[in-house]
Amino acid sequence: MTVQLSAEQVLDEHPQASVLSIDFFDTLITRSVAQPTHVFAVMERDLIAARGDFWRGFAVARVEAEQRARHNAASKNEYRDVTFDEIGLQLAIGLALNLPDRDMVMALERETELMLVEAVPFGAAITQVARSRGMKVVIVSDNYMPAAHLTQMAHRAGYSWMTETDIFVSCEHGGMKHNGILWPVVLSALNVPAGSVLHVGDDARADGEVPTSLGIATYVRDTMRTSHRDMINTTPTVLPLSRIEAQYRNAMDDTHWDVAEVVGGGLVAMIVAAQVIDAHFVVGHRSVAGVHFAARDGYLAHQVWNTLRSRGWELPEATYTAFSRSVVWRACLSELTRDNVGRFVGDDEVLTVSRLERRVGCALDSQLDRDAPIDASTARDIVLENTELVLSACKSLRARLLKYLQSHEVLMAGHHIVVDLGWTGSTIADLADMVASESGDLAVLEGRLTGLYWDATPQRMRIAMHGFAMDEFGSTDDNVRLLGVIKLLEALVTAPHGSVVDYEEDGTPVFVETAPELRAYEAVMHQVGDAAVRGALAILDGTHPSGITAADITNESVWAAIMQMGHSPRADEIELLSQVNHVTSIDHEGDGRPLIAMAPDDPSKVTLEDLPGIYDTLMHRHWMQGSLRALASNADSRWIADEVNKLHTMTSLRWVK
Amino acid sequence: MTKITVVMRTYERPVLLARAVASVQLQKFTDWELVIVNNGGEPAGVDAVMRTAMNATPSGSIRIIHLSERVGMEEASNRGLADSDSEFFVIHDDDDSWDARFLEVAVTALRSSPNAVAVVTGVTRIYETFRGGTVWPVSHENFPLSRGRLTYRGMIGGNTFPPIAAVFRRSLITTVGSFDASLPVLGDWEFNLRAVSAGEFVFVPERLARYHTRTAESDSASGNSITIGEDLHRDVKLQLQDRWLKEAAVNGVNKGELSITAASEVLTREPQINTPMVHVDIEHIANRTAEIIKLQRLSRRIARSVRHPGHGIRAVVGAVRRTIGK
Repeated sequence: MTVQLSAEQVLDEHPQASVLSIDFFDTLITRSVAQPTHVFAVMERDLIAARGDFWRGFAVARVEAEQRARHNAASKNEYRDVTFDEIGLQLAIGLALNLPDRDMVMALERETELMLVEAVPFGAAITQVARSRGMKVVIVSDNYMPAAHLTQMAHRAGYSWMTETDIFVSCEHGGMKHNGILWPVVLSALNVPAGSVLHVGDDARADGEVPTSLGIATYVRDTMRTSHRDMINTTPTVLPLSRIEAQYRNAMDDTHWDVAEVVGGGLVAMIVAAQVIDAHFVVGHRSVAGVHFAARDGYLAHQVWNTLRSRGWELPEATYTAFSRSVVWRACLSELTRDNVGRFVGDDEVLTVSRLERRVGCALDSQLDRDAPIDASTARDIVLENTELVLSACKSLRARLLKYLQSHEVLMAGHHIVVDLGWTGSTIADLADMVASESGDLAVLEGRLTGLYWDATPQRMRIAMHGFAMDEFGSTDDNVRLLGVIKLLEALVTAPHGSVVDYEEDGTPVFVETAPELRAYEAVMHQVGDAAVRGALAILDGTHPSGITAADITNESVWAAIMQMGHSPRADEIELLSQVNHVTSIDHEGDGRPLIAMAPDDPSKVTLEDLPGIYDTLMHRHWMQGSLRALASNADSRWIADEVNKLHTMTSLRWVK
Repeated sequence: MTKITVVMRTYERPVLLARAVASVQLQKFTDWELVIVNNGGEPAGVDAVMRTAMNATPSGSIRIIHLSERVGMEEASNRGLADSDSEFFVIHDDDDSWDARFLEVAVTALRSSPNAVAVVTGVTRIYETFRGGTVWPVSHENFPLSRGRLTYRGMIGGNTFPPIAAVFRRSLITTVGSFDASLPVLGDWEFNLRAVSAGEFVFVPERLARYHTRTAESDSASGNSITIGEDLHRDVKLQLQDRWLKEAAVNGVNKGELSITAASEVLTREPQINTPMVHVDIEHIANRTAEIIKLQRLSRRIARSVRHPGHGIRAVVGAVRRTIGK
């Protein structure tokens, strides 16, 4: 854990300094969004609201306009910074704007910056202490906004003492901090030696290495950058997560960036809030016989639902209902063949007879040593040789499951909703078939799911379903992106107990606890879950410190949040989740697979022919983008990630269309 | 009266039907009525799908018309429209789908363009494989559409957009008549040409409609009419052009002649709706077609003048008088 120095401590370490030079953006001031480009997302939202759909995609166009303007400026003079007018020109070209519209959006950008600006607590503290000690305080910034505008922003953030002459901004001086040209200008204007200046900023090179090489004392503090992600993913739908992460960034500025808290209070809280909002919507619009939160994906939402009820919300009582893919499938099994025995034993699994018995739920007749390893083919043969016993066990499992469903009133006549994460809906469809059959079609289930992907289509004949953040009507690319984050979401939205593998005779569910899941829960997930419940409750009752409310939890904003973390993760998120294994075997035993795929032992031996297989594995068995970024972060394996990106362009970090 | 009627014709494709119905139910704009026209298929399958669909949180309303015998696609559309009332209507094929904002955007566009008779949004074409009751996407591409393709001249050479992309004013049916039930295919094209003669088609470039096309590897029962009946499409197109050739010329232009000329231009330069797409400048083609027709008309006049000099002199005198008159 990095403990940040206080303003006094920083200044005390540099008693020789008579001038405090401080960077502007993300050191002295910040915005109430997670990263600078999200200002453009706010603009796009406001432009669409005021002027219509023409402005959809404005934010990305603004990001690209700046990139082009920088490229053009650098091609003419490699030292100078780009200006706001040059960016405006490129924006006008990119969007084919007339002069009044160009001037309008440039004015709107200045206004939006003023609306969103806020002081960084550390920046406010150190300038205040420095001024109280009689030090001269100046701003040195690499930016395209003129000093006059920066002065306005500073005043709006509470730095009323600041004047234009206190500001040295790169776009007005023909050189930047980054390339060293701006520093002599500053020293000359102040008429002080480098040794009497202390500079504080957030960029390791521009605010650290370069001024240090010129004899200026420096202190680099990059806490305001912790919430930044890939800048191209800038669109209004990212704003709810952006505002939550900005609030965390500010609150944690003096302590440390607690990744688990941010992940839980950010993405997971939004998902949990969405689960509750969606269920609430359904019960408000039709007569519902039962609301059932599925174990384990509905555990957090069920807690929130109950808390809201205890706070006086008019919500019906909801059950927490345990069923899993494996128990529902077994309970529905009426014949065992070569075609379906593979559901008991995966192609690449090595089992034992005793473990196989736990999977099928009965003793098996076999001459083999019960604890000797057996391959998948042998295991399948054993199951088929014991077909009668296995089907009998499935039948009695069905009876126990029905008793359990009865006790949870799932078989009661009427319309029931089941709240779950998703993704193909096949398990809920199987359950719906069973419930319909056992209730004489009197009890009907509807799946209220966070996401559905293309494979859900056939299930729509068996059960009504709704995917809150995503459904199979999304683009092909988005469907594949969803597939790549399923393992991540299942790891994040979970419960303290294992998956259900059976039921006692009285219907009590039997959960299996696995060591990897317990370890992950202790290390990470309990904190993620706690933060998610707190965050969701604050969102729903309108007390979230970021100002985010239930109205902000829309289909689009939840999808955007999933994509922001799931598809363009930060390094700290990947590091946090690298300790998580995903246990997917039918009996939920074994060590499972790491969420972040391990890099090949010797990346140099990987061939191009191996790449489709690697892509497929990352997509189906791991957190795809977390694994790709992990590969890219290592010099030896980076080429693999690069090649996968080239072969499958949807794996690039950009997900905003 | 509901704001919009969605007519969905279906025949023995329950998996695709279930998806298509869900695509309507997920619309953010909720003042719609969905009329399912089961075109002679087994009622039980459609009823089962609809029973399940109705269990989704409802918006709008759904009705089913079971036809005892299979009729043409356009007749099925007409039956669905005749059995409903609304300000706007749309034909939603049972294998296609919409973005959740499609109806909202389309209705807004029609409200803000009172003189327009239809709105057409951008289209994504999705190639998908359907086998054994499971469907999965293989690839997708941007369907080439522009304002030019939605003009009379842009449409006359061939069908330029699938029905899933268009919302029409119902008053059109009074103005230009209903779908031509005699046409086994291309009834939408023929209707669109009559419709665009009556008023403007507004184009919304945002790709909110999804035109699903089954790949060759798919089960044949799931195929698109356009890809499994290419010969039929060609035949019907020729029949339509023959029909139009017999119609009287309007402003000196015969509809059939115009269509043939435009189609030959299009065939040499632009793939049709049922072939892989290449981006082309349809406005250029439309303008070029108009130039050709103008030149053909001029050459016919010159030829006539040579054969009948008196006609030529009268034509010149007439032109001079018209010019002086102006």
